[in-house]
Amino acid sequence: MAQNVAQDTATDDAPHQSFAARHRNLLLGLTSVVLFFAAWQAVFLVVPFNKLFISKPDLIAAGLFDLIRSGALFRDLAVSAVPFFYGLVAATVVGVALGVVMGWRTRVGWALDPLMTVFYASPLVALSPLIVIFLGVGLAAKTLIIFFLSVFPFVFNAYAGVRAVDPLLINVVRSLGGREIDLYLKVIVPSVLPYVVAGARIAVGRALIGVLVGEFFAASEGIGYAIARFGDLFALDKMFACIIVIMVIAVALTEGIRWAERAAFPWRAGQ
Amino acid sequence: MQAYIQGRNVNLTFRPPNRGPVRALSNFDIDIGEGEFLSIVGPSGCGKSTFLNVLLGLIKPDSGDIRMGGKPIAGPGGDRAMVFQEFGLLPWRTVQANVELGLELKGMAADARRKVSQPLIEMIGLAGFESHFPHELSGGMKQRVGLARALATDPNVLLMDEPFAALDAQTRDLMQVELLRVWQEAKKTVLFVTHQIDEAIYLSDRVMVMTKRPGRAKKIFPIALPRPRDYEMRVTPEFNELKLEIWNELKDEITV
Amino acid sequence: MTDTLRTDAPAESLTAPARSLWRQIEPAALGMGSIVLLLVIWEALPHLMTLGAGTKMYFTTPSRVGATLWNMMVTGTLWEPLGVSAAGFGIGLLLSIAVGLPLGVLLGRSRTLNAMFDPFITAFNATPRLVFLPLLMLWFGLGVWSKVVIVFIGALFPILINTYEGVRNADRLLINVVRSFGASEWDVARLVVVPNALPYIIAGLRLAIGRAVLGVVVAEFFGAEQGLGVVMVQAASRYQVDVVFAGLVVFAVLSLIMTGLVRLLEDRLSRWRPQRLGE
Repeated sequence: MAQNVAQDTATDDAPHQSFAARHRNLLLGLTSVVLFFAAWQAVFLVVPFNKLFISKPDLIAAGLFDLIRSGALFRDLAVSAVPFFYGLVAATVVGVALGVVMGWRTRVGWALDPLMTVFYASPLVALSPLIVIFLGVGLAAKTLIIFFLSVFPFVFNAYAGVRAVDPLLINVVRSLGGREIDLYLKVIVPSVLPYVVAGARIAVGRALIGVLVGEFFAASEGIGYAIARFGDLFALDKMFACIIVIMVIAVALTEGIRWAERAAFPWRAGQ
Repeated sequence: MQAYIQGRNVNLTFRPPNRGPVRALSNFDIDIGEGEFLSIVGPSGCGKSTFLNVLLGLIKPDSGDIRMGGKPIAGPGGDRAMVFQEFGLLPWRTVQANVELGLELKGMAADARRKVSQPLIEMIGLAGFESHFPHELSGGMKQRVGLARALATDPNVLLMDEPFAALDAQTRDLMQVELLRVWQEAKKTVLFVTHQIDEAIYLSDRVMVMTKRPGRAKKIFPIALPRPRDYEMRVTPEFNELKLEIWNELKDEITV
Repeated sequence: MTDTLRTDAPAESLTAPARSLWRQIEPAALGMGSIVLLLVIWEALPHLMTLGAGTKMYFTTPSRVGATLWNMMVTGTLWEPLGVSAAGFGIGLLLSIAVGLPLGVLLGRSRTLNAMFDPFITAFNATPRLVFLPLLMLWFGLGVWSKVVIVFIGALFPILINTYEGVRNADRLLINVVRSFGASEWDVARLVVVPNALPYIIAGLRLAIGRAVLGVVVAEFFGAEQGLGVVMVQAASRYQVDVVFAGLVVFAVLSLIMTGLVRLLEDRLSRWRPQRLGE
């Protein structure tokens, strides 16, 4: 751990780190991503390129610009976004309400917890063919699928959040003369909120799965359908472009929420 | 004549990755006699724990000479053992397995280890707790396990890095008495680092005051109190005089 | 512990032992009770209300599902597709362990490598794997490999991330302690890093299993010829709703059993911890 440096007479130096050293991790990450795409492009200088089988970064970029320019990308994203938001909002409201009730009234929690666990463990995706057959192809089916997939993280997290409210804090607020509304605003909501937001982070991922499941099954528009269609047409460049778009959206949503969590709830170290 | 442990001109500078370099030790000299109990007191960050780690062999100094029994210190060895402030017990091992850790690393067989660990566990007063896990123990109990673990390998030198700092005041007092008892029996050389002047005077043959960072030996106080030391000595005038002298030496080094 | 928030919680009482026995089993009883109640209501529903002709086509009851399931087990129509699904599940899971474990250790020990892999791990972890299915179908067709890759991607990340976490948060102090007794690098790994990482790895395995089951179902729905999921999708298109539910029950039960077993293992290995690791 000690380095062999010549003896110096100075006392501690003022910290002076270069830009590169301070943002080391970020730069390393960026570098590896750039290297990855560069390697992907370059590999076809030696390996024969079959455009029916795979694509290259330059073609993918071109395809992406094409989709943006023609408006097709935004149209598809808009179509997919509607059931995504409806389903997610419904899941938030229902899930948090249910979770809070379960946490608040202990016996309700005891009664429903195993039931919820069974539902969470079952691949509810399996019910999507039934939902589509029952409701037909359209917004309702997609919304319902997304709802079922994303409601449980909210239920469990809200449940855990309510149970984790520190009784000591309740006593503190009561002892300072707080009324019921104060308890809610000053203790319960701030305690439960981080759990709910963390639940949202998980639910968003599952909602995205719901979008794709709904659209793969039987849809005529939407970003998931676009991927499948491009696959059928062997338009690999556009297919990769859409896949990358979804990846970017998924990362943006998940990391965005994570960032918001850290900023809004700095006292929550884990989870 | 060479002291049992001798350090001359020890220098050490840390270079942490995202901050400026930190000079821990500067021309640090020290002499420790065999079987002696020496305490080091000093302000926070003065390098006293660093020196313990150097003596332990976990860190190499940038320059300077450190010898024990005439031979330079090359790395950790069975002749020195440390008791850590935060206990450092392996949480997934029972009390007994923790005490036997050093013996295990030496390659001792299970029954031979048991023969050493069992009396030690009894000596520290934890008979019956052999199969407990650290999270089931109190702070004082954990530190006693740490002490037993250090003694198990029968080192010549015990290095103690503020071992009682994490304990409450009453447990601390009791542990000090325990430590002295164990030391009288085992006759080890002890280098004891602490913040507390009381503790240093009560336990030691000599007390060294270190300067603030970069650390250097400032002054050494021989403690002429008779042994065995009992609690009443802590309230005698001689004790308090020593305390005041040492405090006067120390307070210039402390910045709040 | 005083519970001033939940005013309806059972109060501490000093009454007879019979009372406390009920309190011990009350949570489990309520839990099982609600499941049973749900099943009963579901079963009774067609008798309690008249269903429209349209709904009658899709409606099934637990008893019918049970009967169908039994039938499938006995006639053997369950086992073959289940075997295919299980094979895809097993291969994908094993691959994810084989890659995730060593990679997790590597990333745990090397900050540099970790920073370089991080963007890819974040991206693939956040993305629904289903998005790759059309591509995989182009490459592998409807055979077992599309399935295996989907399972692999899903199961890899819990294992990778948990292994990495477990290796990385080995306590610096403990490493120093063990080194002070003369431990070699190998001893350090054996005595500190591995025991510390083990509970994390097992928890990662538990998460991976859930994801892997989901992966099999989803892959079979859209991109396979054989397997229990395929059976379910085909049954759905023929309005054989009880078959769909039967398949769902099979997947759910197997998933619960496997994660339950892993939880038992986790608990055994975690006796030294004050509390179990969270999700």
